Amino acid sequence: MMPDSRVLSIGGLIVAILIMLPMIISSSFALSVMNQIGIAIIFALAFNMLLGQGGMLSFGHAVYFGLAGFVTAHVINGMHADAFPYIPVTLIPLVGGIAGLFFGIVIGFVSTRRAGTAFAMISLGFAELATGLTLIIVFFFGGEEGVQTDRWVREEWFGITYGPDIQVYYLIAAWCVIAAISMYALTRTPFGRMSNAVRDNPERAQFIGYNTHRLRWLAFALSSFFAGLAGALHAVNVEHVGFETVGLGQSAVILIMVYIGGTGHFAGPILGAILITLLNAYLSDVSPAWYLYLGLIFVLIVMFAPGGLAGLVMMHEPIRHAAPRLLWRMAPAYGAAFGTSLVGLTGAVGLIEMIYFLSTTVSLDSTFVLYGIALDTADIWPWLVCAALGASGGYGCKLSYPRVAEAYSTAMHEARAMVAS
Amino acid sequence: MLLFLLASGLTLIFSMMGVLNFAHASFFMLGAYFAYQISQPLGFWPALIGAPILVGLLGAAVERYMLRPVHRFGHVAELLFTFGLAFVIEEVVQMVWGKVPVPYDVPESMNVTAFAWQGLDYSAYRLFMLVIPVGIFIALFFGLTRTRIGLIIRASLTHPHMVAALGHDVPKVFMWTFGVGCALAGIAGVIGGNVLGTEPGMAIQLGPIVFVIIVVGGLGSLGGALIASLFIGILNNMAISYDFSLYPIFENLGVERDVEGILADLVNLTTGSIAPLLPYLLLVLMLIFRPRGLFGMRDV
Amino acid sequence: MNPAIDFRGVHKSFGPTEVIRGVDLAIRPGEIHAVIGPNGAGKSTLFNLVTGRYHVNRGRIALNGEDITNRAPHDISRKGLSRSFQVTNIFHRMSVYENVRCATLWNLGYRYKFWQSVGRKRDLKERTEEVLAQTGLSSRRAVPAGLLSYSDQRALEIAITIAGRANVVLLDEPTSGMSSAETEQAVALIRDISATRTMVIVEHDMGVVFDLADTISVLVYGKVIATGTPAEIRANAKVQEAYLGTEVTY
Repeated sequence: MMPDSRVLSIGGLIVAILIMLPMIISSSFALSVMNQIGIAIIFALAFNMLLGQGGMLSFGHAVYFGLAGFVTAHVINGMHADAFPYIPVTLIPLVGGIAGLFFGIVIGFVSTRRAGTAFAMISLGFAELATGLTLIIVFFFGGEEGVQTDRWVREEWFGITYGPDIQVYYLIAAWCVIAAISMYALTRTPFGRMSNAVRDNPERAQFIGYNTHRLRWLAFALSSFFAGLAGALHAVNVEHVGFETVGLGQSAVILIMVYIGGTGHFAGPILGAILITLLNAYLSDVSPAWYLYLGLIFVLIVMFAPGGLAGLVMMHEPIRHAAPRLLWRMAPAYGAAFGTSLVGLTGAVGLIEMIYFLSTTVSLDSTFVLYGIALDTADIWPWLVCAALGASGGYGCKLSYPRVAEAYSTAMHEARAMVAS
Repeated sequence: MLLFLLASGLTLIFSMMGVLNFAHASFFMLGAYFAYQISQPLGFWPALIGAPILVGLLGAAVERYMLRPVHRFGHVAELLFTFGLAFVIEEVVQMVWGKVPVPYDVPESMNVTAFAWQGLDYSAYRLFMLVIPVGIFIALFFGLTRTRIGLIIRASLTHPHMVAALGHDVPKVFMWTFGVGCALAGIAGVIGGNVLGTEPGMAIQLGPIVFVIIVVGGLGSLGGALIASLFIGILNNMAISYDFSLYPIFENLGVERDVEGILADLVNLTTGSIAPLLPYLLLVLMLIFRPRGLFGMRDV
Repeated sequence: MNPAIDFRGVHKSFGPTEVIRGVDLAIRPGEIHAVIGPNGAGKSTLFNLVTGRYHVNRGRIALNGEDITNRAPHDISRKGLSRSFQVTNIFHRMSVYENVRCATLWNLGYRYKFWQSVGRKRDLKERTEEVLAQTGLSSRRAVPAGLLSYSDQRALEIAITIAGRANVVLLDEPTSGMSSAETEQAVALIRDISATRTMVIVEHDMGVVFDLADTISVLVYGKVIATGTPAEIRANAKVQEAYLGTEVTY
């Protein structure tokens, strides 16, 4: 399965960038964000093994992420107390993977007996059960405080101790690359191909000799392995595992990331993980409305772009493949749509931010800084301006979006004609 | 009984359209907030009428303009949409009314003791909370079984294409059913919000339990929803009030009382502490062994 | 010599309605056996019973002498029985090539392996190319299956059915919705693949039936009223009655 030279050179470039990144961006906040991104990428890819490739929607995948995290934390603590044989922290993610695999096999066996909505509901049930158990079994889960751990156990090769954050970055980056390559390779195996087949048409898959329950179970187990891997890295990174890591909230976050990024392409979850983690890190402090925006983006993607962002990009691939200049011809329509959207969003975001300000602020001062401009929210004119921007932008979109659809279909038509001739 | 109101609306929507409305509890929450907002200037009784209507209209609009386009992408997409909707509604509620519970209170006229039984006082409002869902159940039952529109609804449940071929506007039926289902959730919010507390987290607290109820009761079965909601409500109350210790089980297995480690947690378990888990255990077991539920007419 | 498929006293009801009311039928190995009958006679149900999609209420079905009554579809498929569907039932998001390749996997022993790449396996490639050539789909191998033309989808339907080297093949209305030119092509293909296989075909197009079949069985209201060569069936009074009604004599 030697990939061709173009893939190798892109891969080499990515690895080079990963190695150099922390030297270029060296703030410790940025480093912790990059660590989060790495973990999110592994978790998101694992989740997409179920959703995008296997057609199974799970609301409880964080159970394996979290349980593996708890197991890893206890193993590390055990090593500190000399109660557990020493495993280099470099290899500890495998421990998490195995834990995830174990739970995935057990829970997966019963979960995968059903498909579709029933499967989703079962996963929800297990997520709630796991959350409940974490608060009851205090010995293992630490109750509301969770489990603390210390990732600096012993000095390993080349003097690495994982004390400094930057060492953890390289650990995460390395495992991220390994996990991504492995999961990609899995898609090219008989198992991977049949997993797709079961997603598309489970009945026909049976009629070509495959037990769909077995296939789904295997996909579930392997996916839980990688989720566990991510969970172990999380435990090492943050040195704390709490009850929320197994819960619905954590599962919801990863679902949103993967869906926005795009479930239909391998790179979609990677895109979603990077984007959402970045936005979360930098925007959640800037605006209290960040979760609202995230939710709205998610709903819009479900309604209008079910292939996610990766899907939107790949829709244009046949055009680019036929003749890149066709893309340039689409630029005016796309540019207009972008402009009207920007105007509309400026207004809408302004309104939302001002409403949040009014409902959450306790001071008597009604001055609010929006887009760097100080406004008095007691006045009527900021509201009018934003409403006007929103309305005009919305009306503009109503005119410009059909043009985009037109431009796209014209370009596709031409592209197909070029290919056929 | 609040649970029954919620479950009946949800089972109506699910049976009819195959959509598991993740946002159902969100409409419950909106019912409570709308009631609060209306009752401030106008009092409780107009809120009781007005809030559910508003919620119902909102639900119908959501179905018509947002859910319907998603329908062609399949059940998974519909589920994801309602999930996203629940998320967005919770955020909007926080945006408009803040994160702190709002002071939506029981109306003075009903805050009196109706009677006392077994040493506990039952307020008139509690009685009211019981009577309304029962009344609605009776109305729904007769509406669905005795009227023409009920017949159309029940037929659309299992044979939407045939019903459309007969000339009925099935999409409109769907829209109004979704609206009515949401309105039922809204009523539950109106009468329950002032007792349970009206705050942005109320949807997440109640949502999963409602799913358990409709799965256990069985899909397509209103009666099943009633029985399941009673069962789960009673189970929950009994587990908490009687609070049996689980120690006797361990005693029989020969385990000492003062052990360490993980056994300490297990040995000290009481039915009260595992009460929150029981419904989900029931959900998982039911889905694995009998996805039809107790009285259901079709699989999930 | 065991019959390829042997139905013994098979009954099937859906609720109170009995659809298959006692079918005894033996399909000889290597023959092309057509099953015809009026709509609602139960032909598709019979297929669904053999392939394990439905369970029988009473009776026994054997494949090459082995009892397969009420077994799971994947088990039956592994024993060498394969079927096509009346409503095209393909993997619409995967390419034509991928569709066919998936159908070859189990038979070539690949099972659930997740440590080998399919791209490198020569036997998969050869078998897939063979089937694509036989069904005339080689030039469209990269097209996503959902985007194919109708007759190409029907061809893919058959390709998936034969790719796993099943020796008993059931075709459910293979020429439905086809023009006469397309039907001719389909008939040629069916004759081609029947050389090494036992075929059971449900068809409404009498031209196709009488052209292809070695044996014809007529199913009416869940019972087989006649089995025989095309000439015998054409002359059979009961069959004429079923299709045309009885003659009115004054």
